[in-house]
Amino acid sequence: MLEQLLIFTRGGLILWTCKELGNALKGSPIDTLIRSCLLEERSGDASYNYDAPGVAYTLKWTFHNDLGLIFVAVYQRILNLLYVDDLLSMVKREFSQIYDPKRTAYNDFDDIFRQLRKEAEARTEEMKKSKQAAKPVSNLSRKQGQAAAQKAGSEGGVKQKNGASGKDGGDGDYKKGRKSENGYSNGIGIEESHAAGVVKNKENGSSENGAFDVNKLQKLRSKVGKKSDTVSKVPKAEPKKKGPKKNRVWDESPQESKLDFTDPADERGDENIAVIADQGESMMDKEEIVSSESEAEDDEEIEKDNKGNAKKKGWFSSMFQSIAGKANLEKSDLEPALKALKDRLMTKNVAEEIAEKLCESVAASLEGKKQASFTRISSTVQTAMEEALVRILTPRRSIDILRDVHVAKEQGKPYVVVFVGVNGVGKSTNLAKVAYWLLQHKISVMMAACDTFRSGAVEQLRTHARRLQIPIFEKGYEKDPAIVAKEAIQEAARNGSDVVLVDTAGRMQDNEPLMRALSKLINLNNPDLVLFVGEALVGNDAVDQLSKFNQKLADLSTSPTTRLIDGILLTKFDTIDDKVGAALSMVYISGAPVMFVGCGQSYTDLKKLNVKSIVKTLLK
Amino acid sequence: MEEMKQWTNELQQWIHQALHWIHQIPSVQIYVSIGVLFLTTVFLLLACLFRRTKYNTIVLAGLSGSGKTVLFHRFQDGSLPQGTNTSLDPNEGNFVLYSESTEKGKIKHVHLVDVPGHSHLRLYEYLPQTAGLIFVVDALEFLPNCHAAAEYLYDILTKTSVVKRNIPVLILCNKTDKVTAHTKEFIRKQLEKAIDRLRASRNAISAADISNEFTLGIVGEAFAFSQCHNKVTIAEASGLTGDIVQAEQFIREHIRP
Repeated sequence: MLEQLLIFTRGGLILWTCKELGNALKGSPIDTLIRSCLLEERSGDASYNYDAPGVAYTLKWTFHNDLGLIFVAVYQRILNLLYVDDLLSMVKREFSQIYDPKRTAYNDFDDIFRQLRKEAEARTEEMKKSKQAAKPVSNLSRKQGQAAAQKAGSEGGVKQKNGASGKDGGDGDYKKGRKSENGYSNGIGIEESHAAGVVKNKENGSSENGAFDVNKLQKLRSKVGKKSDTVSKVPKAEPKKKGPKKNRVWDESPQESKLDFTDPADERGDENIAVIADQGESMMDKEEIVSSESEAEDDEEIEKDNKGNAKKKGWFSSMFQSIAGKANLEKSDLEPALKALKDRLMTKNVAEEIAEKLCESVAASLEGKKQASFTRISSTVQTAMEEALVRILTPRRSIDILRDVHVAKEQGKPYVVVFVGVNGVGKSTNLAKVAYWLLQHKISVMMAACDTFRSGAVEQLRTHARRLQIPIFEKGYEKDPAIVAKEAIQEAARNGSDVVLVDTAGRMQDNEPLMRALSKLINLNNPDLVLFVGEALVGNDAVDQLSKFNQKLADLSTSPTTRLIDGILLTKFDTIDDKVGAALSMVYISGAPVMFVGCGQSYTDLKKLNVKSIVKTLLK
Repeated sequence: MEEMKQWTNELQQWIHQALHWIHQIPSVQIYVSIGVLFLTTVFLLLACLFRRTKYNTIVLAGLSGSGKTVLFHRFQDGSLPQGTNTSLDPNEGNFVLYSESTEKGKIKHVHLVDVPGHSHLRLYEYLPQTAGLIFVVDALEFLPNCHAAAEYLYDILTKTSVVKRNIPVLILCNKTDKVTAHTKEFIRKQLEKAIDRLRASRNAISAADISNEFTLGIVGEAFAFSQCHNKVTIAEASGLTGDIVQAEQFIREHIRP
């Protein structure tokens, strides 16, 4: 049963809602859909899942780009309605015939909708019946493989309700949405159920899943038991109770008395401090001059490329079309232009799936639109893509750290920033750069050395602190970073530092115990800003890194408010010439804005992201 | 010298030939062609001179959820929409204000633009033609959004085109029909305080490279809207009940027929 079906314009005016389905929607699924999906250029997705306390909806939508209308259907996620897509396209067709831009009330559409819904439901009933006839035969063989009769019962129940449920959601989903039938459904999984043939296979697959319910539970119990064992065995964050390590003896050579080669300069104190404070103005405060002259050149180049690619005949027809202004843009027309655009994006180091999703989203927003005369399809696609890119890269909220620091100062507590990321991306270096920049704005900074694992990490920060003349809180190596951070924040509150910059150890996104330790650090200290440090050289791995980091932070969080990555610090930007795609991949997959860009290895090499120039470079 | 003479001779010959040719054409044709040329130039000049002033746009801006789309429809045809969602695209319309449509005489059309709350950049596209800007503030949910609203307003007030052309800004407190809505005085004070704080943090930079191109107010003193070069006023309205009189006055004031 549908919860609601809405028709509204792109300007926000609701034209029609179904009055029969009178249930008010809990929460605000439509607004959330618009904000986090349609405006984020994910409109190429098949559906959107909305979760709020007490409800779980799935939303599907379709656009009528020519008239500027959006059709959205909302239904409960546990019901797997197959007729929604059909219904939406039928509704679109019927409504566009009676649509008039001046009218705002369409009460006569109620009857038409009732008819359409009956039709759609009838059609799916037929499809279901034809499927069910074929089912019992194939499943007899499956049943022989199963153990208890209990499972057969649940299987039957499962088959009745879920036409074709999605694949396993994994441990996380299992814990969250456990219902007697398979409560998990990926949006993607639902989509694959359309073709009848595919449905049959999925049904068999789902029946297997249903049967494994009980088995899975047992496996999970044992897994959880095992996991807690492994965690306790991880020695990295635990203090050693065995006492000081004895030096290893390789051969009979006399043992060296002292293996500590740290520079005795530390003890000398003031004498060795090179006064660095003035390496000049940090590039954050310098305005970038974007040259607009190169735009004309770029356009010419693009045109030449396009002309070269298209065949002679194709060129002629596109010229003709551009003068005449073809009626409506079809997907087949958009495809070549989109494919070229996608390839161009990928040569600029944008992750493959991001480029794919973006192109789908742009296609969804252009399909069916009337092409203005004297424009070529490629230029329409180009402008749409440019708008989309600017929309994605522009930060949704303010990224003015200075303002947030002032706010925290007024409240009397230090502003805590945690730098996280994989190994070797430049966390410690960029931490020093950020400290330098903050110092230039007369903000007192304190560093916290919570990288207690890597050799030399604490000394590295100590050197930076000495050069910048700021306090550093350190506890040496092999300590629990979460505790060190907590004590650092208390110390900062005591001595009145405005900002605490916490350095953590680099960790791979797949490393479970390390991610758990990071999650513990964040939960325990509740920082104001979780900054993900990523290098601009990364390719497709950016998607994996960010999504896994976010996922682990969400899964392993203990407090009701899950802290995710709040911002991105893009490093090594000077090493890539124009392959700036990593910025786009990271922002798209995480939704977090790029707050800083590291473009060199000295203190002043920190700047803001220039959205216009990045978009220009990406589309060149 | 020889060459020069040759050229002058040739030139003279050409002129002779041209004059001869012109004399041959019947005079009617010449007069007609000259007449046509003259008329077209006069027409173009007239069109340039009498072109309507470009400044006939009123922009409705504000955060998401402040009620701009509802107000837009109220202005347009006095109707209350059965519901609105977050706008994806701007709502534009060139019309006579609904309340004025019954008045007689020549009423100037108003080009009203409702810019979605999430895209601050779109607003600046309309600035060259803007005669006035209405900044809509949600008086009901004001305090949680105070910072964001102040920042948006700060960006607008420090944009060079706004300052140079003295574009008047009306801060419209919407949703005042509700009991718990704040008063306009309270909102004004809160906004002034927040903008003062923004001014203090030197790098008050908002989304995507828009730099504050102008310092607001008087340095050293607490910020007040009266210190702005362009006129900033504050008024109340309610889109739901249709109480939009003060806003309409503002529009009428600044779109001169």
